[in-house]
Amino acid sequence: MSTPSNTPSNTPDTGSGSAEPAWLLVTRREVVSRITDKSFLIGTALMVVMLVGFIGFTAWQDQKTDRVTLGATPDAVAMARAVADAAPRVDDQVEITLAELDDDAAARTALGESDVDAWLHPVADGWELTSESSEQDSLTDVVRTVVRQQVLAENASGAGTTVEALEAGSSVSTAFLRGDAEKAAVADAVGFVFVFLFYLAALIFGMQLASSVIEEKQSRIVEIIAAAIPLRHLLAGKVLGNTALALIQLLIYVAVGLVGLSFSPYKSYVPGLSGPAAWFIGFFVAGFIALACLWAVAGSLASRTEDLQTTSTPLTMLMLAIFFGGLSLDGRSQVIASFIPPVSAVVMPKRILSGGVAWWEPLVALGLLAVFAAITVWIGERLYRRALLQTGGRVSLRQAWSAAE
Amino acid sequence: MLEIRELTRRFGATTAVDEVSFEVPAGQMTGFVGANGAGKTTTMRMVMGVLGVNGGEVLWQGRPISRLDRRTFGYMPEERGLYPKQPIIDQLVYVAQLKGMGRVAARTQVQELLERFGLGERAKDHLEKLSLGNQQRVQIIASVLPRPAALILDEPFSGLDPLAVDSMVDLLRDHTRDGIPVLFSSHQLDLVERLCDRLVVLANGRRVAAGTVSELRDAGVPRFRLVLGGDAGWVRDHAGLEVLDLEGTTALVEVRQDGAEQHLIAEATRRGDVHEFVRVRPALSEIYREATA
Repeated sequence: MSTPSNTPSNTPDTGSGSAEPAWLLVTRREVVSRITDKSFLIGTALMVVMLVGFIGFTAWQDQKTDRVTLGATPDAVAMARAVADAAPRVDDQVEITLAELDDDAAARTALGESDVDAWLHPVADGWELTSESSEQDSLTDVVRTVVRQQVLAENASGAGTTVEALEAGSSVSTAFLRGDAEKAAVADAVGFVFVFLFYLAALIFGMQLASSVIEEKQSRIVEIIAAAIPLRHLLAGKVLGNTALALIQLLIYVAVGLVGLSFSPYKSYVPGLSGPAAWFIGFFVAGFIALACLWAVAGSLASRTEDLQTTSTPLTMLMLAIFFGGLSLDGRSQVIASFIPPVSAVVMPKRILSGGVAWWEPLVALGLLAVFAAITVWIGERLYRRALLQTGGRVSLRQAWSAAE
Repeated sequence: MLEIRELTRRFGATTAVDEVSFEVPAGQMTGFVGANGAGKTTTMRMVMGVLGVNGGEVLWQGRPISRLDRRTFGYMPEERGLYPKQPIIDQLVYVAQLKGMGRVAARTQVQELLERFGLGERAKDHLEKLSLGNQQRVQIIASVLPRPAALILDEPFSGLDPLAVDSMVDLLRDHTRDGIPVLFSSHQLDLVERLCDRLVVLANGRRVAAGTVSELRDAGVPRFRLVLGGDAGWVRDHAGLEVLDLEGTTALVEVRQDGAEQHLIAEATRRGDVHEFVRVRPALSEIYREATA
């Protein structure tokens, strides 16, 4: 049996006699038709609002002052006053007002009617801070510290010594070889955001790409296109168009995020985040292109939108693996995963964030990811081309791979 | 002229198109008929290059067809529908650009065609907002962009109301007048008979008949109808003829021996009155039924 020939895709020519190459026309259509789509615009705007809201809320939460009223019966007024006076030195976000109460019964009533937030009183072996039903975190910390200092000072003078003498040489401070505790926490949070953004973009744009492939296949407009240009150009245009869209969206999110952070208490970290963010964008593009080709294949294997669920299952699994792998891997397994595509697309930027990565490591990982992307583009192109013009039911991967064109 | 030579396509063990050959001469409308699954769509897809061939070739102006030739062809696939959620002018310009037109020229021509089909006002509407008939018109515009060198249309009339059929026919005639070859498939035989200069009949992947409508009707064994003044029973015993139908004074005969009809008319006039003696040409539907049986 002779090999089928004479198909558009293996006739060597660029598919363009016009000023613009065909893939560029396709790219432009993808971008324009999507960017003028209301749901896309609304979705992007909503995400920006959520980002700004989240950063704003965190900053507000961080800066707001807790105003609490501390109740005390006559036997505890002296201690309570000491606590109220010392509060700003212990925690500058706690402001304590003192309320003098007649006796224990009055204190309980005041607590019940929320006239006071907590009640300080002496008990057999020390002091007790009573609140209605929920713990007063910041107040408790302040009260604990101040009461301890006061009592220690009294006890020390009773024993003929001083607090300083008693505490000498007892302090334990923490230190990190790299960075500090707060920096590590910021790296963790931003790392989560990186993984999440990649997962979200790859899933949403991937699904969108796959269904637009089905749309073209189902309406047979793909035959009109195939008669005019090589299918390679159609695939390239669709993948590039969606990559451009995802990148635009990502750049908006990253910009909003960084600008937002610079107005928050964490602004000192913004310069340090720019480098990792730039790497992340690089890894995002390579990883996204690799996955986009696979999504296009998933679309071309289906004949109807209903089939997409089935043909895209392996891909959704892969996306979940990337998501959870990106979030949970650490130590040696994280180092290994940071070189394995496509998981490396999220794991390496995370490692860069936490620091301690040799200069060549991101380059090697990005190179490997680019090679992986090239392979999926090559395999994807073959599968897409062959499955796209097959009608009637789902096409299996094996059928698509070995099908005559 | 478009020539299809011994085109063959197999899908696994089945041969969908089996060494099919025919011509689509310049300036003529060629109808492509056959039952569902006869191989019409497969043949057209091979002509347009969206499906590979297992054997045979397609010639355009006497030489093997190239991708660039095909880009100049207008093609309407069977299940049609462009992008439902895109303004019609945008997608028509897109299709024209894919076929190599410049952006400005494409816009002008699309605008003109939309006006011509009475869709000028709706250029910015999404395709899905249009009625089915109007969607079909948009599809037609897509296939004649830019001025095509040939038209390959798969079931262009299906689902059209009589008025839309007429404007479609006018459009096709416009093109054939300019010397453009048109190949269209249809299962509406009356339409094919009315429109077509030539006809190709496919059955089970094979070409079973091809030619102009009158060639096809004249082909085959000649038949005559004889109406006599008296009983026609004696015709049964006449040599060189096969009686297909006999009822009272009327007989329908098929000539098995050259010149037998001459002896028949001589005999009939010798026996009495002859009211009618005519050559019977089969209707296209009969030819079709016989060819595809």
